Amino acid sequence: MIQLTLEQPFRIPYVALVAVYTNSVQPDITAEAIKRVAARTQETLNNGQWAEFKLLLRFLACLQSVFEDDGIFTILQQLFDTVVDLQSANENDVVGIELVKIILLTIPYTLVSGGSRFHEHAQKILEKTEIVANNMLPMEGLIHTYANPGEDGEMPMAYHSVIGLLQNQLTREAEAGWTLSFIRPFLAFPAEAVKVTEPKSHSLPAFTIPSPVNPGPNDLFPESYFSLYTGQDIESVPSLDHLAASLIRDSIVDTIDQLDFNREAVAKFLVDMDRFWVTEKFARRGTNFEKFKELVKGGEKIWKLEDILVEAIFSQLFKLPNPAHKLVYYHSVITECCKIAPSAIAPSLGRAIRTVYKNLPVLDLELAYRFLDWFAHHVSNFEFRWRWQEWLDDLSLSNLHPRKAFIMAALEREIRLSFSKRVRSTIPEEMHYLIPERLDEDKSPDFKYDNEATPYAKEGRDLLAHLRKKGSSEDFKEVITRIQEQASQQGVADPLVPAADAFMTAICRAGAKSLSHVLSCIERGKEQLLSIANESEAARRQIAASVVEYWKDQSGVAVRIIDLLLNYTVLTPMAVVQWALGDHLGAGEALAKAWVFEAVFNTVLKVTKRNRSIIVARLSADLPQDQLPLVEATLAKDRDNARELFKYIEDTLRGLAQGGDTLLEAESSGAVSADDGKLIRAWAVRWHRVFTRKAQVEEAVVGEEAVEARVKLLAAGSEAKPEPMDQDIKAEAANGGDAEMS
Amino acid sequence: MPPNRSTVERLDRPSTYATSKRRRRYRAPDEHTRRPPSPDPEEKLKDATTLYVGNLSFYTTEEQIHELFSKCGEIKRLVMGLDRFQKTPCGFCFVEYYNHQDALDCMKYIGGTKLDERIIRTDLDEGFAEGRQYGRGKSGGQVRDEYRDTFDPGRGGYGRSMDDEGF
Repeated sequence: MIQLTLEQPFRIPYVALVAVYTNSVQPDITAEAIKRVAARTQETLNNGQWAEFKLLLRFLACLQSVFEDDGIFTILQQLFDTVVDLQSANENDVVGIELVKIILLTIPYTLVSGGSRFHEHAQKILEKTEIVANNMLPMEGLIHTYANPGEDGEMPMAYHSVIGLLQNQLTREAEAGWTLSFIRPFLAFPAEAVKVTEPKSHSLPAFTIPSPVNPGPNDLFPESYFSLYTGQDIESVPSLDHLAASLIRDSIVDTIDQLDFNREAVAKFLVDMDRFWVTEKFARRGTNFEKFKELVKGGEKIWKLEDILVEAIFSQLFKLPNPAHKLVYYHSVITECCKIAPSAIAPSLGRAIRTVYKNLPVLDLELAYRFLDWFAHHVSNFEFRWRWQEWLDDLSLSNLHPRKAFIMAALEREIRLSFSKRVRSTIPEEMHYLIPERLDEDKSPDFKYDNEATPYAKEGRDLLAHLRKKGSSEDFKEVITRIQEQASQQGVADPLVPAADAFMTAICRAGAKSLSHVLSCIERGKEQLLSIANESEAARRQIAASVVEYWKDQSGVAVRIIDLLLNYTVLTPMAVVQWALGDHLGAGEALAKAWVFEAVFNTVLKVTKRNRSIIVARLSADLPQDQLPLVEATLAKDRDNARELFKYIEDTLRGLAQGGDTLLEAESSGAVSADDGKLIRAWAVRWHRVFTRKAQVEEAVVGEEAVEARVKLLAAGSEAKPEPMDQDIKAEAANGGDAEMS
Repeated sequence: MPPNRSTVERLDRPSTYATSKRRRRYRAPDEHTRRPPSPDPEEKLKDATTLYVGNLSFYTTEEQIHELFSKCGEIKRLVMGLDRFQKTPCGFCFVEYYNHQDALDCMKYIGGTKLDERIIRTDLDEGFAEGRQYGRGKSGGQVRDEYRDTFDPGRGGYGRSMDDEGF
């Protein structure tokens, strides 16, 4: 029963109802159920497992009718008192927000079970939660799905926090007398089956809220409410002021997140979800959207299940700052839903894609990147089918326009998962020019040193020859020195730069056959690579530049090799970022390229991941005392490095957003049009927002204050033992991007 | 808290192949050789970071595999399965992650989805060992490609033994 509550949350009212009915037959069984659930509830409270706590509490809330006195409202009040304590101790507290969310989401279930005699209780607690629910934290400015980068972008929807929205919806519901019209009412147990003379009331078991409250294994952040379909002329999902929007969403999202170990089951439950609410509130499954619109125009008050589902899954795919699971999980849920109910889900999904595509210019850039990654992966599971015809008009847009940039990046992503010829065969002829024929050739990219006219041509070929016959580090060194000498004679400012170029390009060529090949070539050349890179920062950046130049037609490979070089510390995070946002930036056109974002994003992720792992070590209960200073010192150093990295990124992007010297020059010389200049600055604004958020999230997790709080909690005793952010690291690791995902 | 049984099947469990390996080893110990008992495979797989990936097309490249599998975490090593004689890809590979959890997530989120338009199969694996990258079929590829009587263009057409019999 507990397991069902935790894994299939949409069944909670029904499971609970069985316990309520049992009370009319065998009250002892109900008492035992309450006891067991309450014990587990207390446990989740102690561990800060908020999702589980919420669900178990919901089960108890659905038993409100068999409790004595105030029942659930006792614990809700207790929780609220804790919120007050937390908020008065720290105005930016996030645990309190989580608790308020739980309180608010529990109220309607309590009322469904408890009935009208508790309306006043609900009213009272709503009055209390109002201040907290309507408060905005500074962080919330950065977690909205949309951000307007220019003056003429149109915002699809305003920011709503999940709890702010809930508070308003509940208040409205209270004013309307708690009709809760979309929740199936609890029917009384048939009188003839009652076996007890007097209905037995149970007392709600006492709960202890630990002090200090254990914030739990996941980092908590305020939550933004995401919607795709709200605000349309004909709303296919519950409107934002309707409680159903939050309650149904919550139930779907929990089902997705709690059951991540079986996406097939999740999909099966999702497409069946209307059965667990008042079915008449939904249009028949798979109703065609045109038909649906007619029904609504005809006065029917109905929602479209498929739209609700798609929107709910996207809300998780688009959750900021971090998703609860690896993003690929949500990809797989969408795929499963499409497999199970293709004719119902696919059209809704198509409309979702069109909506997101339309809003790309104002969509948060990290989300645009997630969308890109999802889109390419999704269509790769469905024969790369998409109606590209719809977007043909956008081909005439500037390559710097977010929609055109998306089209180009999406095709590139599809090719990474497949091959160019195949992808070309799935798109209209008008688009074929975006996938040039040279990509079909089954051969390695040209080696520029094969051309005699290239400076250091002979040396480049010598290096390649040495790499191929597994030459020694001395062999490489000899050629590299020759290049340096020639370059010095010719007055090259940093003679190591052409040497780095030749060596890295030769490594790329020698290892062009596959990633394993390039890996073993890097391994062979690593001594000289490291020595070049450590001697000159310009040469270090040249190494990144050479990789990208060699693999210019296959950015996926380039990004992957850069990642490898970071692991070998041939490249440093700062070098990658300075190359991408410095040497490679040009007037700023590079910002429109998804793979540049990918390279920078992955690099930053690598840095933050490392810092998180140091925190895990620091907060490990069995960290030997003598290692503490070492860990602390590492943390302090790496934290500063990360801050420096973020500062560089933010400063560079801010500069560009506000004008940008190179861009201004290019504009005045006519090299970049005024319109393109505007687009570039809009990209800079969107980039800036992503990395500002990342920086703030890092401060919230690995900043001195955050770590101190965790350390204190650790010291507070074994009772409230925090499990440091394993979960979170896991989710972020593969996510968002992918130090890894290139 | 002991782990509870889930209400639906978990997709991150090892297949019966891995468990059958256990049985073979457990049931047939030669009493005279007195080999020490092999470790419990459940135990061996409990920290597994490697996955066996099957049903790949012969034409699927390392880069494609990386592109998909790195969605579950950083890949430590990728070993392509090769035809024993021709040293060409023969439709399987081993993907090794840094973390056990990444391997489990891959079972849950990527196993049974498509790569290069084929439904791929993933299984937890005790770890790559030299030699395992080669097909064990008579003709050098995987055993399953010896006797297949359906035409699979991604895996060399008909089964190779079928060829001999005049298909």
